Amino acid sequence: MKLLVQILRYQLVTSMVVLFLGAGLFYVSVRYLVDREANKELFQSQVKVRWQLKHLETLPVYILQLGDSLQLEPVRYPGRSFIRETSMLNLAENEVQPYRQLVFYERALGRWYRVTISKMLLQRQHLMEAVVMTVTFIVTLMLVSLLLLNSWLSKRLWKPFYKTLGKLDDYQIQQHETLRFEPQETLEFDQLNQSVTHLTSRVTTAYQNLKEFTENASHEIQTPLAVILSKIEGLFQDETLTESQLIALSSVSEAANRLGRLNQALLLLTKIENRQFLAGSDPINLVPIISGKLRDLEDLIEQRELSVQTDMHAVGPVMHPALAEILVNNLLTNAIRHNVEKGKIIIILRERMLSIRNTGKPLNANPEQLFERFRKESTLSSSLGLGLALVKTICEVNGQNLKYDIDNEWHVLTVSW
Amino acid sequence: MKLLLIEDEKALATSIQNYFQRENFICEWAQDYESAIGKINIYKYDCVLVDIMLPDGDGLNAVRELKKKFPETGIIIISAKNSLDDRIEGLNLGSDDYLTKPFHLSELNARVQAVIRRRNFQGNQQIRFGKIVIEPQEHFVSVDAQEIILTRKEYDLLIYLIANKNRVLTKESIAEHLWGDDADLMDNFDFIYTHIKNLRKKLMDKGCPDYLRSIYGVGYKFSEQ
Repeated sequence: MKLLVQILRYQLVTSMVVLFLGAGLFYVSVRYLVDREANKELFQSQVKVRWQLKHLETLPVYILQLGDSLQLEPVRYPGRSFIRETSMLNLAENEVQPYRQLVFYERALGRWYRVTISKMLLQRQHLMEAVVMTVTFIVTLMLVSLLLLNSWLSKRLWKPFYKTLGKLDDYQIQQHETLRFEPQETLEFDQLNQSVTHLTSRVTTAYQNLKEFTENASHEIQTPLAVILSKIEGLFQDETLTESQLIALSSVSEAANRLGRLNQALLLLTKIENRQFLAGSDPINLVPIISGKLRDLEDLIEQRELSVQTDMHAVGPVMHPALAEILVNNLLTNAIRHNVEKGKIIIILRERMLSIRNTGKPLNANPEQLFERFRKESTLSSSLGLGLALVKTICEVNGQNLKYDIDNEWHVLTVSW
Repeated sequence: MKLLLIEDEKALATSIQNYFQRENFICEWAQDYESAIGKINIYKYDCVLVDIMLPDGDGLNAVRELKKKFPETGIIIISAKNSLDDRIEGLNLGSDDYLTKPFHLSELNARVQAVIRRRNFQGNQQIRFGKIVIEPQEHFVSVDAQEIILTRKEYDLLIYLIANKNRVLTKESIAEHLWGDDADLMDNFDFIYTHIKNLRKKLMDKGCPDYLRSIYGVGYKFSEQ
């Protein structure tokens, strides 16, 4: 949930509570004032009524039923005067409405009368309406203004934040860039940007160092390996060596060779990951690369009695030609290596996709795991276990999609772009 | 034949020198670019082997200068860098070949011989070994004047064997020579055996003696004895 929405939630809940409490308080206080006003008026009326009752010679009959506002009832004894509230039917409007009544006793013409002055409390109803309306209006206004404020805030105040976020999203460590920002008015965002700048510059330096170390280490390993191999080769020429010594030397030589190949493959992988092979702008035609590679691998294909079918259109992705060659090479050698005797290979090259299908043994592992480095189906093979990892890395660097499907005996590797 | 080796790693230089001395090549060694230029100015070399990662500067510059001053000398770059750009740049500068460390001495030997043969425009480019005569430009192989049809791999194998005659060749070095980076595709080296067997049969069918000796556990040796 967006921070602004969360803030808005709290703001809304708080303002609702405050508004309703305020509305209640407002209602109570205004009602108190209205009541006090009504009482005052009642007492004024009482004074007038008393005066009139004292100065009248005869009590007019009609005054007894003065209507809702004044009632005179003869009583035997006087009582205490009091104020009460009651509901009465208002004939004019034909509905029950609240009234405030002042009841007192007065002696007129030798008799006690109970005098009831009623006052309709219409104001109070109006007050209720007014309060509800006001509160509703304020709530609506507040809601609208808060929403508007938030959208404006997110556009204006939060803009630098979203900008930073966008830059971080697009950040690619391989491009060795340090993120830099313009100074911001908002202190927090400025601090955030500074932290991001520091962080990316540290990360870039660390990455650069690591990369250089890996490359240098690999290079430095090549020379001692060359020394080892050359010494072994010199030793092989020594006629005085016994057979068992030669065999031991031969295993040393095999291991050193393997180490050399491994080192080169890892170096290549590092270079591809470091994006040292930038794609050109034109798509390259994969057909000559595939045909050339098939020719190179001809004797391997013949030896295993594999049949190869090709269905190719002259298309290909945009990528560095050297990477295209490695890609094709590794896919084809993979299809040959993991094939069965007298198996088949089907190569399909279409607009936006290359698919290489080969017959093979069922897999024990999850096919996606075969893209991991040093993952091998069998421990027997002399394979380095880096072939498909290289393919995967090349595809990632070039934004291509690599998929491994198994369809009965068929293993299908598809590169799409 | 005179070779100049420019290489800062002494142990490797000694091995290379020893190897070529057995081949009856004169192989001189310069540890850095300065002394290399000194030597080149005095003697004429058939081929110069340059490690382009010299301590005293960029080896590619050395190649550039060598090419300018001594255009007729063959140049083979030896580098720990496998970077394609370096390779292409090196070849563009006029080096004849590019070899990545670590390499087999037999491979280096074969490359040196190929470079010298190619550079030797006027001379006889024919390769002769016992009864075998090869015309490298036409890929023509004959024994006692009878043509032998070889596959591409068999031809490469024969050239490689002759270049490294009288030496023990390991199966790995043969595999790497024939298949390059695909050599690790061979789960066992039976595969080389198939090619060796076919080549030997084709040669012997035309009356060629069996020059090829298998060294148990190691590889093969091609020699007249």
